[in-house]
Amino acid sequence: MDLLAFAKGPALQVAAYIFVAGSIWRIVGIVLLKEKVDHSEPRKSGGLMAALKVIYTRSFTASPFKRATLYPKMLAYVQHLGLFAVIFLFVPHIMFFEGFLGFSWPGLPNNIIYLLGVAAVAASIALLVRRLTSPVLKLISNFDDYFSWFVTVLPLVTGLMIPVRMGFRYEDILAVHILSVVLLMLWFPFGKLGHAFLVFVTRGTTGMVFERRGAKT
Amino acid sequence: MKKRPTVGEILQAKGVSRRGFLKYCATTASILALPPSMIPRIAEAIENTRRPSVIWLSFQECTGCTESLTRSASPTVEGLIFDAISLDYHHTLQAAAGDQAEAARHAAMEENEGGYLVLVDGSIPLGNPGFSTIAGMSNVEMLKETVAGAAAVVAIGSCAAFGGIPGADPNPTGAVSVMDLVTDKPVINVPGCPPIPMVMTAVLTHFLTFGTIPDLDKHGRPMTFFGTTIHDRCYRRPFYEQGKFAETFDDEGAKAGWCLYKLGCKGPTTYNACATTKWNSGTSFPIEAGHPCLGCSEPNFWDGGGFYEPLSTGRFDSGTKLAGAAAAGVALGVAAAAAGRSKQAKFTKEG
Amino acid sequence: MTTVDGRHELDREAERLAYKPPEVRHDKQGDMPSEERINQAMHHFVKNFNTQTASYLDGCLHCGMCADACHFHVRTDDPRYTPIWKIELFKRTYKRQVGPFAFFYRLLGLKRHVSIEDLEEWQHLLYDSCTVCGRCSLVCPMGIDIAGLVSMARHGMFKAGLIPHELHEVAKTASETGSPLGITGDKFAERADWMGDEHDVEIPMNKEQADVLAVMSSIEINKYPESMAATAKILNAAGESWTFRTDGFEATNFGMLSGNPDWQKASTMKIIDAAVKIGAKTVVLPECGHAYMALRWMGANMYGKPLPFKVLHISEYMADALNTGKIKVKKVDKSVTYHDPCQVSRRGGATQAARDVIKHLGVDFREMEYGGDYNWCCGGGGGVVTIKRADPLRHRVFKLKMDQVEKTEADQLLSSCANCRQSFDDSQQHFNWDYTMGSLMEMVAENLEEVQS
Repeated sequence: MDLLAFAKGPALQVAAYIFVAGSIWRIVGIVLLKEKVDHSEPRKSGGLMAALKVIYTRSFTASPFKRATLYPKMLAYVQHLGLFAVIFLFVPHIMFFEGFLGFSWPGLPNNIIYLLGVAAVAASIALLVRRLTSPVLKLISNFDDYFSWFVTVLPLVTGLMIPVRMGFRYEDILAVHILSVVLLMLWFPFGKLGHAFLVFVTRGTTGMVFERRGAKT
Repeated sequence: MKKRPTVGEILQAKGVSRRGFLKYCATTASILALPPSMIPRIAEAIENTRRPSVIWLSFQECTGCTESLTRSASPTVEGLIFDAISLDYHHTLQAAAGDQAEAARHAAMEENEGGYLVLVDGSIPLGNPGFSTIAGMSNVEMLKETVAGAAAVVAIGSCAAFGGIPGADPNPTGAVSVMDLVTDKPVINVPGCPPIPMVMTAVLTHFLTFGTIPDLDKHGRPMTFFGTTIHDRCYRRPFYEQGKFAETFDDEGAKAGWCLYKLGCKGPTTYNACATTKWNSGTSFPIEAGHPCLGCSEPNFWDGGGFYEPLSTGRFDSGTKLAGAAAAGVALGVAAAAAGRSKQAKFTKEG
Repeated sequence: MTTVDGRHELDREAERLAYKPPEVRHDKQGDMPSEERINQAMHHFVKNFNTQTASYLDGCLHCGMCADACHFHVRTDDPRYTPIWKIELFKRTYKRQVGPFAFFYRLLGLKRHVSIEDLEEWQHLLYDSCTVCGRCSLVCPMGIDIAGLVSMARHGMFKAGLIPHELHEVAKTASETGSPLGITGDKFAERADWMGDEHDVEIPMNKEQADVLAVMSSIEINKYPESMAATAKILNAAGESWTFRTDGFEATNFGMLSGNPDWQKASTMKIIDAAVKIGAKTVVLPECGHAYMALRWMGANMYGKPLPFKVLHISEYMADALNTGKIKVKKVDKSVTYHDPCQVSRRGGATQAARDVIKHLGVDFREMEYGGDYNWCCGGGGGVVTIKRADPLRHRVFKLKMDQVEKTEADQLLSSCANCRQSFDDSQQHFNWDYTMGSLMEMVAENLEEVQS
């Protein structure tokens, strides 16, 4: 079995199992802890609508914080939107998803994807530089932050190397790319990358708690 | 033993003009990626070299490779260069049969000890020697016997080079490639199903000209022909970059000649010269005919996924086992939460 | 459970609720060995981990944006004041003990066990440099309520006997006497009587039946006693059947601020019991921020079921009474700016009430830049104002508030929280500042008009 067949076959298979099991493990492990019951008389109805509201509104910065957080926020937007486009709007990736989802959606031209990919890498590097230089971030960062950065950027870089090639053979660099995604999937549920699904829980919780108080969310 | 005529003499006898001959030399130099200064050297080598003895062994094969080399709409120079070698043994093409044929093989081996070329098409069954025999001799025996005195071995076609169809899962005959058996002689793989005729003859020409084997890639293929992918040389590549894909074989995209990636084209992972050398005397290649590349010159050709399955499709089971993983996740989550809660209960009791 | 030798005298004359500066600080309570303190802290951290806190603690991205929302960090640039860092020990304990992957964290030693040195260091971060104002909770892109987590982390610190000297003393006094300043029911009644006489207003005390139970904060009783008269004037004007009770008058809750849930519950239950006894339909809370959080949003959870009465902050009560015409006020010809108490506005959801009242007063209202829900905290909330050693830091932080107020160029600065007020008074004195904090309730009481019915 060559590297590509290994990457596309057993490696991806095992990564998919661990990704699914780990993610569910984490969510269930949190959700099944004791529940906090609130007996206070609500000012407004909280509930699911409040959760959805905050899941949406927290995607944007409240105006008092705009100036202070502009730089990291812009970088984070570029990084996240870039990642989203690269993962979900690159045609070969869509075909990958179609392979097990059974349906597809329109993609973007490759050149635009390459551009967004490069932008995402650049933003990630800038964010890393910030993490390595800001006193606050230096203090609060740990292994998870740096390793999660690494496993996120690695597939971006190896993916961008496929069209550029740089002396590597297509199937080798493709195999390395897929293996880098395997690494990402293996780490995803266990580290801070879990925020991709936890964000709905944390924002939703805050939405429900504070909206029923009628307080600022 | 009568003195063999040189290649040049034969070509002259066949009525090939000097101009035509040099044109062939120039083409060969170009596809071998040699500088123009090498053209006279090629011409000289071909003109003055004695017809090299070539023994062609056919094992578990379909004769498609031979067909590819011999079936041309009109006689080509590369066809003629085949006349220029001394094809001393070839099941399909030789007139002799039975003991006579085997005698010819042995004669060629003795006369050209250490200098003849062995060309092999088809894979070799190791499961049971009886699966494929010639003159009562198993393929593996015949290969070993013939290769012993050869200068080099050329594996023609994907079966000889990588095992091909006979070697595909579940490989009932235990088929293996030439490379798997011949380890003490240079082996040049010229895979393809079938290989491009021009590529074959160019490899032979290189051997005649320089007496050496060309640079090979990790799969034993000459870099000059197998150095770049179909995808990189494909005339439909701009459509790939623009994200314009044919979705079915009869949609507007297919009619407009858009990229066939979504229809399973293996061009990106297939190293061959189809997109430049083309087929049928330079007429076209499969993608020009509207069909995705099957990747026939790659190892694992048959077992590397469906022909019409896009390359980026992951090859993993997404059904029941994944549901099993999800169930395991739930169980672990429940266990983790229970452990957390019991710890809280214990701490509450302890105060 | 814990004892402190060398109690300190109440400083009733001081500008704020406090004990005299302790000559010897006792920032460690009791004589537990370090191991026991660590155990206690861990146990009482762990008790707080429910679905909500777990998702918060699991969801942090370490983006550091909360630092930009925190007045302590903004004014000092000290990275330790990054809000999420203040709950680092709490977070670490969660990951090691209760999180979904706690087993691996322990097995592989990925999260260090909390040490006594850690806990001692974090006392400063969890008490001196956090007012639980919740501004950070609004900037967090994950929507994590960091301020809420700080309150919970304090539970472990209290049980470990590792809270600042003064805060422990105040909380202990409150648990023993019912008031953080040691004001007993009799003293309260005495003061009410005095204020009633001085301001010529009837102040009902200990009625057996009443629709409304009004409570006060010790800060007001001690330092701003006019508040009692003002409350009475307003409730009388509205024609309410109301009363003060000597068995449930104290609105402040230092059990909550210091991190002792038992004391928090005891304080809350006094009010609830009194209200239930007189069949009150409404409890009106005084101008006090954390009292609102303690009863309005946490009261029912201490009670274990929904409260049988409504809970209103005085600003909500006034807004309601003015909007429905139960009371009327004269127009006031002044320009006014309003400082939002964090627990009432940002975290309590009653931001609009004060603005409704101000509108009825007809003043030239000048909202501070990012006033309302995004207001900068006075720096004294969450018990910080009681901690003497935190004074230099608190004053430094107050600069933000001063700038915010000065920009409005308003004639009068108002708020609706006695704790903010004493914190402003103290800082005003420190900086020789021009602005004196006033009370919204008192302005309403002074400008009441007869309602023709």
